Order: sequence, then structure tokens, then C-alpha cells
Amino acid sequence: MIVDRRAIKHLDLLLIATAIALVIYGGLLIYSASLPTYPGGLSLGHPVVKQGVFAILGLGVMATAAWVDYRAFGQAAVALYLVAIALLILVLAVGEPVYGSTRWFTIAGQQIQASEIAKLLIIIVLARFLADRQQQMRDIRVFITSLAIVIPAAFLVLIEPDMGTAIVFGAIWVGMVLMAGAPVRYVAVLVGLVVAMIPFAALAVFGEYQRDRLVNWIDPSSDPLGGGFAILQSEIGIGSGGLLGQGWTEGTQTQFHFVQTSSTDYIFSVVGEEMGFVGAMVLFALYVLLLFRGIRIASMTEDSFGRLLATGIVVMILFQVFINIAVNIRLLPVTGIPMPFVSQGGSSLLMLFAAVGLLEGIALRHKRLEF
Amino acid sequence: MNEQPERSNWPAHASRNPRGGGKGSSTSFALLRALVILMFGILTLQLINMQLIKGDEYERRVAINALREVPLSPARGLILDRNMQPLVQNSARFSVAVVPGDLPEHGESAVYSTISSVVDIPASEIESMVRIGRANQDEFSPVVIKVDIGRDPALELLELEPHAPGLAILVEPTREYSAGSALSHVLGYVGPLSAEEYADSDGYLFKDSIGKNGIELNYEDILRGELGRKLVEVDATGREIKTIDEDRPLDGSNLVLSIDLDLQKHVAEVLSQHTDDSESAAAVVMDVNTGEVLAMVSRPTFDNNMFASPLSQEALSGLLEAPGKPLLNHVLSEQFPPGDTFKMIVAGAALQEGVARPDTIITNKGYITVRNELDPNVVYIYPDRHALGPLDFSAGLAQSSNVYSYYLAGGKSDEGFIGLGPDRVARYAQAFGFGNPTGIDVPGESAGMVPDASWKESTVGDPWTLGDTYDMGIGQGYLGATPLQVLRAMCAIANGGRLVTPHLLKEVRDNHGSLLSSPEIAETEPLPVDASNLDIIRQAMRRSVTEGVTKNANVSGIAVAGNSGVAEFGAKLQDGKRATHGWFAGFAPYDNPEVAVVVFTEQGNGSDDASPAASQILDFYFHGPRLAAQPQVIGQ
Repeated sequence: MIVDRRAIKHLDLLLIATAIALVIYGGLLIYSASLPTYPGGLSLGHPVVKQGVFAILGLGVMATAAWVDYRAFGQAAVALYLVAIALLILVLAVGEPVYGSTRWFTIAGQQIQASEIAKLLIIIVLARFLADRQQQMRDIRVFITSLAIVIPAAFLVLIEPDMGTAIVFGAIWVGMVLMAGAPVRYVAVLVGLVVAMIPFAALAVFGEYQRDRLVNWIDPSSDPLGGGFAILQSEIGIGSGGLLGQGWTEGTQTQFHFVQTSSTDYIFSVVGEEMGFVGAMVLFALYVLLLFRGIRIASMTEDSFGRLLATGIVVMILFQVFINIAVNIRLLPVTGIPMPFVSQGGSSLLMLFAAVGLLEGIALRHKRLEF
Repeated sequence: MNEQPERSNWPAHASRNPRGGGKGSSTSFALLRALVILMFGILTLQLINMQLIKGDEYERRVAINALREVPLSPARGLILDRNMQPLVQNSARFSVAVVPGDLPEHGESAVYSTISSVVDIPASEIESMVRIGRANQDEFSPVVIKVDIGRDPALELLELEPHAPGLAILVEPTREYSAGSALSHVLGYVGPLSAEEYADSDGYLFKDSIGKNGIELNYEDILRGELGRKLVEVDATGREIKTIDEDRPLDGSNLVLSIDLDLQKHVAEVLSQHTDDSESAAAVVMDVNTGEVLAMVSRPTFDNNMFASPLSQEALSGLLEAPGKPLLNHVLSEQFPPGDTFKMIVAGAALQEGVARPDTIITNKGYITVRNELDPNVVYIYPDRHALGPLDFSAGLAQSSNVYSYYLAGGKSDEGFIGLGPDRVARYAQAFGFGNPTGIDVPGESAGMVPDASWKESTVGDPWTLGDTYDMGIGQGYLGATPLQVLRAMCAIANGGRLVTPHLLKEVRDNHGSLLSSPEIAETEPLPVDASNLDIIRQAMRRSVTEGVTKNANVSGIAVAGNSGVAEFGAKLQDGKRATHGWFAGFAPYDNPEVAVVVFTEQGNGSDDASPAASQILDFYFHGPRLAAQPQVIGQ
């Protein structure tokens, strides 16, 4: 299971460099967003310092995940699935509500977002399940069973409530079953059903939280000081950035607290306001590079488990970035979801570095018969 | 599940896949890459729209967001007496408050106990006040713990402020009236705007004060000034970060009053010597030629500084229900029967109308009788105080004879003496300013009451009788006048027939002392009484002081002319008499009148209290405090 020395040349250094570049970019943004609350510069306990510590821990996690043969995780699929579901139930039971949503629980003074860990675990489980049934993908029962693996996790996340992460779960499943060879029409029918159900679900199931957020997206100025305040201020901040932005730490929307949670869910508004269109394009370029490196690894590997695992990770990151930014620029209803590698948050960062580690592990072993 | 066969089967499976094995896979990855490009393309398009196309519009909204216009209140104008002595000063009121949003996360109680140690409110009580405040307003609105804590505790807390986050000392402007109760009715006071006042007036903030009474109310527009504004950068919680632009407020202008503070204080002191706190009393000193009010005192009084801090309900109802109605300015807000002082007006009318001449002799038997018009057997008796015998015009006035005035007003038909009759008495009363507000620049003036036959019929329901005319002739019955109206009539007699408008405002000056304007003095109205006839009245008033009923108003070295008397009111007492008001109305010096004085005491007697009070007031006016302190010389 240990990587062969000769395989080291297959290590994707550009992928690691891109991930680190994103974390550094994020550090600059978190510093600027934290300036109103931490005007005294860097100190122990400063969000940027914390983020740096997690990044270093993350590199360790990444190395470990790359070193261990990723296929071992596939062997433990059942156990990992039980852990994922248990985490999601646990957070509902003992988690502390923040902004009306129960997503975190605290271990040793550290806030852990359960769904971040669950996401990666579900990707591993799903990859293993689909890889084992590669030839039966036309079988509707396999298709339904794969869905049944994701549904409980997505449902538990949805009732936290965390609509954004639930959507990410859905996107991961769609991407992976298609990659595994499931007929497009199955997926199309299912997605069509879900889309058709949205209006009813919005009325019946989602509850006031999601409905309010939907309304806030459609007309945030209807409630400028309530929940709609955040999105309106974020939009104003991004729009005012123009081509080159107001300059780092110079954005009034960020610095005068108009944008809330500007180091986490609304961190893109800091990019937009202070770094401008050019800064946003730099960010996009880094993500596209990162995702393309991930797709490259998925396409290189001859192992279907590794290929599906890499696909799941790529889709997860892609949708998380898209949803986060789309909310900030009012393409989607408000749903709190961190921006991968960039947003402040330890559990998210560790999970992402673990994901990068898995990708590297796949890359190292993409030629099975290399001796 | 066995993995090994699975893996070895992979290429075979791929070829069976309808999408075409390895080749199909590369299509999938191409599609995934396309999806990445598509999704970032969508985001980029929206960003181009927001940042590059609509960027300017958003930038404007940012500017509106971070800039806030903060209104600046002007400093209220000061009020000075005629000798430029300040009557009111702007000072600061210190209140201690807690800003819940600034409190430390741990250690709120330390802040509470810091406050508690200085202002003597239990920390637990402060905590519950903050809790209530937190529930009802936003985090950064201060919760006032105690209003008007005084300067020293405020300074003490200011020193502790850096060590107690969340503690705030609020400084609010307030008015400090240096003369206190001596001028409270004249100056009035300021108070917080009511909801209606706020809705009705421009240029006020809801936290501002507005004149509620007296000069403060009447000249609100001058004292107020104009709001300024400043443009500040604020954060999302509204806290100011820096000032961008400032438009200074225009401070209110200063008022110079005709009041002489020293005289005012003396008049207040004199009046308090002659009355007690449960009785109403009033005294006014006025320039006979201009109508400038030099002193105006109403008793009982109150300290208008009480209104600087929010007044408790008990304190307010205490003031409202106290005997003598301390909040009321008895000089001009309440009407009383003018009594003997009105005889001067009846006398002037009688001379002018030819009803009497200086040599008209009327014998005073001590009463006058009137037969009932329907039943001749019923005879009403209208009494006088003394049977003075035959009196000429001057003596009749100097002795303040009721009988003489009965004849002048109502006549005596069985003796063939034709009087003025009620209509002419009323007409002259109005010409002397009775029955109408004087137009003084202090709010709350009563019009008084000049009755006539139609008024009595419609209001009382009875026809006018000869008795009513007799009553009116001696300033009784339905006639009502404010002390100010009596004084104004006295000025007209003294100055040769001009009805002046009483006023207090002398000048408006800016805060560097430069004169901005002097109020236009309203045109005086000439009386319909010839100067020669007024001369006769003045002689009689001088005689009243030298040898008549007003002797106690005498001032050594100064020729005082005046009239003192009583006015009956209310029901008959057990001894058959009625309670009386005491009046003095007069002027000095006799040969070149300068000032007129009116003194009114609710439960009094003209010669025993009103006249001596007037004497002391005039003595102070002409001789100053040193001589006035000497014992009075009574009599001539």
C-alpha cells in the first residue's frame, strides 16, 4: 500500500501549489475582513493565524491521505458511511445553532462542521458502491440504491437547515452516477422530478428559514435590515469594486461592517469590493486550474474507484465554489456555504486538504502495474 | 465484493458501455471540463454585468451607505436683563448610561458595580435596566441609568470610562436660570418637544427642547437658531468614523429684556413680605411712556430650574394643585375685579362726557339706595366705607368714595343727576384697554371682562339693572381685569392719554453682543379723554397719596400719585362683609411721570399691604437699595 519511490514523479505539484495559492489568497481576504474586529494586527487567536495553523495541519492531513493507498478507504466504506450518518445525527442532537442553523458542534474548543466531513465520506462510499457495479449501471435497482445512499445524508443536512450543502450532495451524486455510466435519461427524469417539486417543497417542507431566504434573493431591498441586509450589502460591495477594486483593506462595505460574515459565507464580496473584477478573475483562474488538475487525475487513472472518487471531489469543489459565489452575486437564493480553501473555517480546510491528498494518492498510483 | 475481477473486467466493461469505453470516458471528462468552464462563465458574465457595466451605480450606493448626515443642534440664545446681566445660561446636564453593545463579554457586572459606586444605584438594578433596554432597542443605543447626576460624579465617571467599556456619560444642554423663582413667570422654561410639537415644527430634532412658557415660548423662533449638519462616515452600526463635511449650526440670538434684575428681585422680596405663599399676588413696574416692563412678579412662585430635569408626576401635580396656583402668572393670566382702581376710568369718562365737573359736589351719606323697579317697597342699599359728607370731584377720588362713583356711573334719577350709564362706562373701559389682551410679549394673557346688558342677558339670563351699573362704577360686579390691564390704564393716565403696549423685549443681539434688531413698538392709541381732564385725575391721585386713602404709598422725596383700594369678591363672610383683594395702582413722579406700579394682593387691603409694598418698590426704583433698606416713613 505504500507508494513506490518511482511513483513520486507522478505527484501533481501544480495541484498542491494551486490549493496553497488559494489558501494564501483567502488569508489576505480574511485579514481584511477581520480588520474591523481585530484592528491591532496579527496576534495569537487572530483568524488569519488560526487559518494558517489549520492550513499547516491540512498539509499533514494531505500527505497522510496521499501516502495511504486510497483504496483502503474504499474497503472501509460501510464503516465510513455509518460515521458520516452518525456525525450528521450527532450535530442535530448536540450542535449549537448559529444564525438559525445547526451545523457545528464543538470538540476541544474547536467548531467542527459535520457536513464537511460527511461530504468527503459519502463521496468515498459512493465511489466504492458505483465502482463495484460498473457493469450494472443500466439496472434501475443499482441506480435507486446509489440514490438511497445519498438521500439520508442530504436529508439530515437539509433539516439543519443547510440547503446549499444538500444541493452539493445532490450534485456529487449526479456527477458520479453519470461518470459511472448510468443512463442520462434516468438522471434527467429524476432531476426533472426534483425541479418540479421545488415550489411545493418550498411551501411545505422548507419552513420559514428557506422561504425567507428565497424571498430575500428575489427582493433583498424589501427587508434591508433583516435577513436580506446581508445579500444586499454584499451585492453593493461587489458591484462597487469595478475593474480593479477599492484596494486591499480599503472597501467601506467590508471595513464598516456592512457585509456580515465577510470572512466566511460572504468572503467573495471582499474579493469583489477590494480586488475588483481582475481579482475575481485571478480567483476563478486558480479554481479552474485546480479543478482541471483534478479532472486530469480522474481521467488518467485506470482504477474505476479512483476515477469516481476524483470525479466526486471535483464536482464537490466545483459546486461549492459556484453556489458560494452565485449567492454573493445574486444568481441563487441565499444559502450559507463556505468558499473552498478561501473561507475562514478549520474543518472545511482540513477536509479539502484531505480531498487534495486523495487526489494526489490517485495520481501517485494511476499506473497500477508500475514496478 | 471481490475487487480483483472487477478491475480486470474494467476494459471489457468499458467496451460494452454504449458511450464507448475509454473513449466514452474521455468524452465524460471533456463534458466535465466544459461544465467547469460553463459554470465559471456564468459567474464571470454576472460579474461583468455588476462590476463593469453597473459598477458606477453600485459605487454611488456604497457612498450613500457609508455616509450619514448627522444634524447638529444650535446653542439656544441667552436672555439678559436691561443692564446686560444674564438671566439664563446654557449649561450641561450629565447623565450616566450604558451602551449594551460595548459591554465586555465577560465582566459586565464589574462595569455595573463601577457605576453603582458613583451614582448609588444597586448594580442589580442597573443590570435589569440594561436588560430591558437591550430588549427594546438596538445594541448601540445608550440605556440611560440616571439623569442629571451632577458635575462631580460625572467627572469621576469620565475618569473611569476607559476602564469600563460600555459606560457612557451623556452630556445634554440644559438651561440654568440664575434668578430662579424671582423670574420664573417671566422667562418660563424649556422642555422636551411633545409629539405634536415635533410634528408641527420644522428644524427640530426629537431630542431637542422647546420653549414651553414665558419669554422662552414667546421668542422661541429667535432663541432657537438653526440646525446645522455634518456628513460623517459611519459603520454598519451607525458609529461615526470620521467627519467629511460640516455645516455649523446657526446659534440662537440673545434677548435683552427691559427687566431690571435688581428691581425684579426687590419687587419679589417686597411682595413676599406682604403676602404668604397660599395667596396669589402680583406686582408690575412699567415705563409709562414706552410700555417697557421693568419688573413683573407673580406669587406664589416656583423655581423654573425644576423643569431642567424630567419632572416627576408628584412634583408636577404638587405644583398644579398647590394653593395660589404657582404655575399661573397672576399678572396677566387671571382676571380680578379691579375695584377702586377702576374709579379713575369712570372719573375720566364722567369729565369727558360732561357728567361731572371738578366742582361737582356730591354728598356722601355713607350709602346710596335704589328702589326695586317692580316693587317700590323693596329698597336696595349700596354702601360706602364711610359717610364722608359733601365731596368735590378731587376729594371724591382721593378718598376713593363709592357713592361719588355710583353717581358718576349710574346717576341718581330722583335727584336729577344723570350718570354715564352702562354703555358709556363700558365704552370708556374698553378705550382704557379693559376687556382686551394688552398684547404683551408673554403668552397666556387673559382678556378680562367688560360686561354689558346683552352679555348679561345671554350669560346670566337676567336684565341689566341700575345696581349692575353702580357695581361696575366701583370696579365690582361682572367687571374683570388683569393687574397688567389696570397698570396699562394707569400709564395712559400718567402719560397724558396714550395707551402703550406692555412689552419685555428691548433688543435682539448676536452672541458677540452686536445689536441685530429692536422690536417695533406698537403704535400707542390715544385715549378719548382730553389731556386737561387727565390732569384733573392725576391731581386727584396725587391728593390721594398726600391726604387720601393711599397715604401708605408715600415715598420720601418722590411725589407719588396713586390709588389704593379693595375689591370685594366671593360670598359674604360671617360678619356680613366679603373677602377683599387689595390693590394699588399709581405712578411717580407726579409732575413728570416716569414709572407706573400696580400691586395686587388676593387676600388683602389696598392701604395695609398693596400701598406699602408699592412704596417700597418705588423707593427702590428711585433711590436704590441703600436707601430703600431704611425704615419707611408713613404718612405725611
